[in-house]
Amino acid sequence: MSHSTTVTFADKVRAIPGGEHLEMCYSCGTCVSKCMIQQKVEPDYNPRRLIRRVLLDQVEDAFTDPTTWMCSACDLCFPACPQKIHISGVIGAVKQLAVAEGYKSPLETVKVDDKLCSGCGVCVMVCPYEAPHLVEKKVNGQMDRVSLVDKNRCMRCGTCVAACPLGAISRKGVANPDIVKQIKIKTDRTTSPKLLIFICDWSLRVDDDLRILESYPSNIRVIHIPCSGRIDPQMAMLALRSGIDGVLVCGCAPGECHFKRGTNVGSCKISLLGQMFDQMDPERGGRVRFIQIGTQDRGRIRNEIDGMLESLELMKAR
Amino acid sequence: MSQRPKLAFYWAASCGGCEITIVELGMRLVEVSEKVDIVFWPCAMDFKYDDVRAMQDKEIDVCFFNGGIRNDENEHIAALLRRKSKILVAFGACAHMGGIPSLANQYDKESMLYRVFDEIPSNDDSRGTRPQPTTHMKEGDIEIPILYDRVKTLAQTVEVDYSMPGCPPVADQVWNVFQALLAGNIPGKGSKIGVDPKSNCDACARQKGKSSQRISEFKRPHEVQLDQETCFLTQGVVCYGAATQAGCGLPCVKANFPCRGCYGPPDGVTDQGAKLISEIGALIDTSKPEELNKIMEGFVDPVGTAYRFGLADSILNELKYK
Repeated sequence: MSHSTTVTFADKVRAIPGGEHLEMCYSCGTCVSKCMIQQKVEPDYNPRRLIRRVLLDQVEDAFTDPTTWMCSACDLCFPACPQKIHISGVIGAVKQLAVAEGYKSPLETVKVDDKLCSGCGVCVMVCPYEAPHLVEKKVNGQMDRVSLVDKNRCMRCGTCVAACPLGAISRKGVANPDIVKQIKIKTDRTTSPKLLIFICDWSLRVDDDLRILESYPSNIRVIHIPCSGRIDPQMAMLALRSGIDGVLVCGCAPGECHFKRGTNVGSCKISLLGQMFDQMDPERGGRVRFIQIGTQDRGRIRNEIDGMLESLELMKAR
Repeated sequence: MSQRPKLAFYWAASCGGCEITIVELGMRLVEVSEKVDIVFWPCAMDFKYDDVRAMQDKEIDVCFFNGGIRNDENEHIAALLRRKSKILVAFGACAHMGGIPSLANQYDKESMLYRVFDEIPSNDDSRGTRPQPTTHMKEGDIEIPILYDRVKTLAQTVEVDYSMPGCPPVADQVWNVFQALLAGNIPGKGSKIGVDPKSNCDACARQKGKSSQRISEFKRPHEVQLDQETCFLTQGVVCYGAATQAGCGLPCVKANFPCRGCYGPPDGVTDQGAKLISEIGALIDTSKPEELNKIMEGFVDPVGTAYRFGLADSILNELKYK
């Protein structure tokens, strides 16, 4: 009797760090209930299906299914999994094999404008997914060092878009000019303080929160961003200059960020911006705020907005 | 009568470094002076304000004006030179963006004077002395300029044709600009001159940051032995290079000191300080979110760091004084 030496799809996945816990899944589906992709983008999303495909050697199906590429490794499912499977690790291993086989992510990614990029490497350092790297490339007939984004890694959180000092990176819909355009929309004439809210599309409570926001009159304006890591303090400055009284940025609770570190990035930027306002003009501090809304924070946004409107009202009256 | 182009230089609220950069041209300055007439240069030549007043309007071909607008004399001469010059260049960081003196825009005039005349340890004057615009002497009244509440840029005061950034602009760029203007190579109005495309990082040869290489502790340049080969950001030191217009040739970086941002915002950046914190904020990283505040404390004096050379020209300044 001869032993089979065929290496299965599952063997290959297991061989990659992160993929080793494959068999432990007993398909309870708790991960699906936690998954933001399933809730917001693709109702049919189901990590269990991918695991099953790996075990059944359905290589082609696993590699070509768009949902394979959607996981942002936020790891909300990990603490919930009774089997302690790092599902994002398993999915990451499958992606890695797919890339090695020449498959490509179907997701749209951020774009680098080579003519603007100075090759500073800031995007390389800030990206939660190690997607950008620097390459030597011919730009305008000359060799130049520029950033190149790995399509298979980029999850389009926009952290690099905001961090890029030269505006060389853009993401469809939330490039700098898109946000400036939204800031510039004229508001109704109103005496009440005007508040601009940047809200993370992936915030766990965003749907509830948007319903609450609808109940406010037109002095509240909302701009959607893919992650609070996308916030550029310049945009808050431009908003205040255009006559808006306060800027509130809503990110996610630490550990609940869809893009790993985006909420920390947003929090640092707005905190530093707030410190600058306090230093420059202490009597009118508090015009920018960052809040982190977590699973437990049902309805909290209303209190935050009311509190901020109240302090802006006082500031205006002074 | 000579048909040579007429140049003027002036210094308003500045330290004199911009004058040094002209002198730094060395023998090239002699070459320039053979092709032009220098008609006004208070730092180096004996002309008076009355000489300028006596000129025809637009008689000066190019006036290089350095220094911000800190008092009424600065403003008066700015208006005079504007009237007498065909081309007015905001020369150096102070004229361009307010410069170091505009950091005082954080404070009102009285607290600034209190600090200077009463509070600083080296000043032992209990009489509460304040500079007076007019002092009566037995020979007659003497006057000093009236100090303004804040520093303004030249462009916030009069119409400016070009800006030439730098604290100071480096001599080689001054030379380039002289040659271009003498050759009649006049750029579009409002352009920045004496600069290179993109940001300082474009020209910087240091090893750039790697994936996920971030800042978990800020260090100030004097607190650390700086490596000469790698990007300052990877060493936890705030370097302004990525958010600064290229053109200086990196004298600071080559002397192993991080860029301070004196060449101002590159094209596409509306507020240099806000852009800097958008970049630096994204670099702060720790596995423990509760440590973020402690890390940020290491970003000492956010306004002074982010707007070291450009507070007067910032949106932050505009929001305070609107």
